[in-house]
Amino acid sequence: MTAYDERTLPRPLPIGPAGYRTPGWWGVLALIGTEAAVFAYLIFSYFYLQSQTSQPWPPSGLLPLRWSAPSTAILLVSAATMWWAERGMRLGALIRLYSGLTLTLLLGIAYIVLQCFDWRGEPFLANSGAYGSLFYAITAFHVLHTAAGVLILAAITGWCALGYITPRRHSAVTVVALYWYFVVAAWIAVFITLYLLPWITPHGGPP
Amino acid sequence: MAANPTFKTPVIARPTEELHEKMESMWSDPPGLYGWLGTTDHKKVGKRYLVTAFVFLVVGGIEALGMRLQLAQPNEHLLSPGLYNQFFSMHGFTMIFLYSLPILSGFSNYLWPLMLGTRDMAFPRLNAFTYWVFLLAGIFLYIGFWNGKGTDVGWFNYVPLAERAYNPDWNVDVYSLGMIFLGISTTAGAVNFIATMFRTRAPGMSISRVPIMIWGTLVANIGILFAVPAVSLDFLLLWLDRRFGTQFFNPSAGGRPLLWQHLFWIFGHPWVYAIVLPAMSIVSQGLPVYCRRPLVAHAAVVLATILTMVLGFGVWVHHMFSTGLPVIAMGFFAAASFVIVIPSAVSVFAWVATIWTGRPVFTTAFKFFAAEIVLFVIGGVSGFMTAAVPLDWQLTDTYFVVAHIHYVLIGINVFPVVGGIYHWFPKMTGRMMNERLGWWNFWLMFIGFNLGFFPMHISGLEGMPRRIYTYPANLGWGDLNLVTTIGAFVFALGVLLFVINVVRSRIKGPKAPPNPWDAATLEWATESPPPSYNFAVIPRVATLHPLWEERLDGSWQSALDEGAVLDDEHEIPATTVLDAEPDAIMKMPHATLAPISLALLIAGTFVGLLMSMWWVTAGCLLAMIPALLWWFWPSPEMGWAERARP
Repeated sequence: MTAYDERTLPRPLPIGPAGYRTPGWWGVLALIGTEAAVFAYLIFSYFYLQSQTSQPWPPSGLLPLRWSAPSTAILLVSAATMWWAERGMRLGALIRLYSGLTLTLLLGIAYIVLQCFDWRGEPFLANSGAYGSLFYAITAFHVLHTAAGVLILAAITGWCALGYITPRRHSAVTVVALYWYFVVAAWIAVFITLYLLPWITPHGGPP
Repeated sequence: MAANPTFKTPVIARPTEELHEKMESMWSDPPGLYGWLGTTDHKKVGKRYLVTAFVFLVVGGIEALGMRLQLAQPNEHLLSPGLYNQFFSMHGFTMIFLYSLPILSGFSNYLWPLMLGTRDMAFPRLNAFTYWVFLLAGIFLYIGFWNGKGTDVGWFNYVPLAERAYNPDWNVDVYSLGMIFLGISTTAGAVNFIATMFRTRAPGMSISRVPIMIWGTLVANIGILFAVPAVSLDFLLLWLDRRFGTQFFNPSAGGRPLLWQHLFWIFGHPWVYAIVLPAMSIVSQGLPVYCRRPLVAHAAVVLATILTMVLGFGVWVHHMFSTGLPVIAMGFFAAASFVIVIPSAVSVFAWVATIWTGRPVFTTAFKFFAAEIVLFVIGGVSGFMTAAVPLDWQLTDTYFVVAHIHYVLIGINVFPVVGGIYHWFPKMTGRMMNERLGWWNFWLMFIGFNLGFFPMHISGLEGMPRRIYTYPANLGWGDLNLVTTIGAFVFALGVLLFVINVVRSRIKGPKAPPNPWDAATLEWATESPPPSYNFAVIPRVATLHPLWEERLDGSWQSALDEGAVLDDEHEIPATTVLDAEPDAIMKMPHATLAPISLALLIAGTFVGLLMSMWWVTAGCLLAMIPALLWWFWPSPEMGWAERARP
């Protein structure tokens, strides 16, 4: 055996989840990949059934933007507050971190509330036709992801406040931010598909 | 009290007797039930996967033998039509979901950290969790069967037959919820393999020095990440249709039955590659050892593996040629299906060239690996034939397709798996398997398999449809079916000999040295069986074949018995993605009951959904919050908490 390569190991290494590409980062990236695939297959189902129908799509006319437009804006702002918090974490600005996380959490809850109002205002039900089934499946699936994100934000905020997670080991916050950006991005895809595209093809269905 | 240390310079040393003792006391599981239920040792998890999946293989095999007895002669009445439907449905999903992938996860869980030169998977608790979920989902999927209402609409579970209007019993609900449940295990396992591959390789194991078996499993698991959501979603939509009256598949309300088939096969075809690519990589890993040379064209085989998986996502419609799709779509998917032959052939030619240019040693493992090549070619050609649309119209839903799927799944999965057990059994148990029994084992399985399944091609060409429970005498299929049944029983006898050999060798096989086959990869650098900590010091890798360097390259370059000690509780080095340069020290968890608790809560959630006991579901979901907090609580032990220890 040759002498040990001096270049590789005998130097100080950080202990624990330090840096960006921690195993947790890879894990959450893989999780996001698989969850994004679910959204992709839901949207595939939506377009597939739209392509097969001769009825108006959506069946009861264009969806109102009264709740969904503000909720989209809220989610976009929450991505910004999340980014602001995560940056603050890396810079060691803890007040910025706490306030950013709390703001993101509250905006997430606000989005869920607005989506409930949106559901209340829709004239169709989940069992009144394939369109309604898809609409509620897609939006509910997204609300569930947001609710999970809100719970995760609550946990991470608590752990930061308890002093478990500090700027040197910020990867937990980085990873949560990554998940939150995914939630926002998935909503943009859902919003464009369900709420905006029917404005361009007002009657839906094949020509 | 001192704060948790934040930096450390690893000590480079040779292992001593004291170090082995210290590591053993730190890494071995606590005694008793707690250690048994709470273990996160990848070797134990891997062996559990292997044993459990093999039990499912035996159960599915018994179901198959029942069907073969029923079909041995025309007009038999051993099984009622209803029971026959349950048998072929349960046989299908047992083999495809509860055996094929879990057995490969067993190999991978056991072997990955050893091959990568580290001490555990990236997420050891997640690893334990995936096993418990797999076990509970397997039991869940069988509860209907024990009540006489197993799922009976085939493992494709096509609508509208699977809708409530035609299938009011709970059998399809069990299947639907069980598949979503099982998908959690498969997905979590895939996440774990990916993080393990990218972060925990031994220092120096750069991307070009990763053993071929790791590649096969990694590529399959990346495929799983994007394929499994399609089938989980499909079953969720079906369950919503059945339970809450949604209209996804109901054509009178705007739904489409073909949506089921699209989502099912968007999953289904990549799944075929997910359950054969890791098995093919077992062959690529094991075969060269018995040919006394490295695998020919390692890099080409890796790239072909990746290409096969990518193309595998673009061929799903070839399962749906008879459903009346547009010609242009069928043309595209037929062409894509033909193209897949190219990367598949790369592996075949690499194996043949390896044998051709090597000096083969005809052990039992070699025979199984070599047989895989033959069966893969036969199964590949019959698949290639059905990729042609007109021929597919003729052959679809006949026994020709049954022959094809069995040549592929038994040929490319079961044969490499049995060969892989012969190959790695000494490592897993510290004992050698019996080669004389192995000879009988192999030839019974090989002859029985071909005797059983080759005639199915002919009965298929003669027009015998699949899924029929009997057939009239005047069609002339009786002799072929009798031969098939005899072959199936010869094959089963071979499997029985395998089980006998495993049990017998486990008890009184001769003791195995660390590297009985003189193989090249790191799992053979440690003892047989490996200690709980795998390696007392972390090896440093310099080539693709660290144990063969002297004879291939003229001198040793890897450092196998001198390396980082890392002995402050559970530690492993984290390394960079491409170059595998160490950049952190990871803290690994100890035995914990969090994984099994969470798995049981998920099982409770699904039982509640099945029985419409919503309070059970809600209670389990709520209880998951504290369970997850417990799991993820940032502890100093895991290198998290920065503040002083209490």
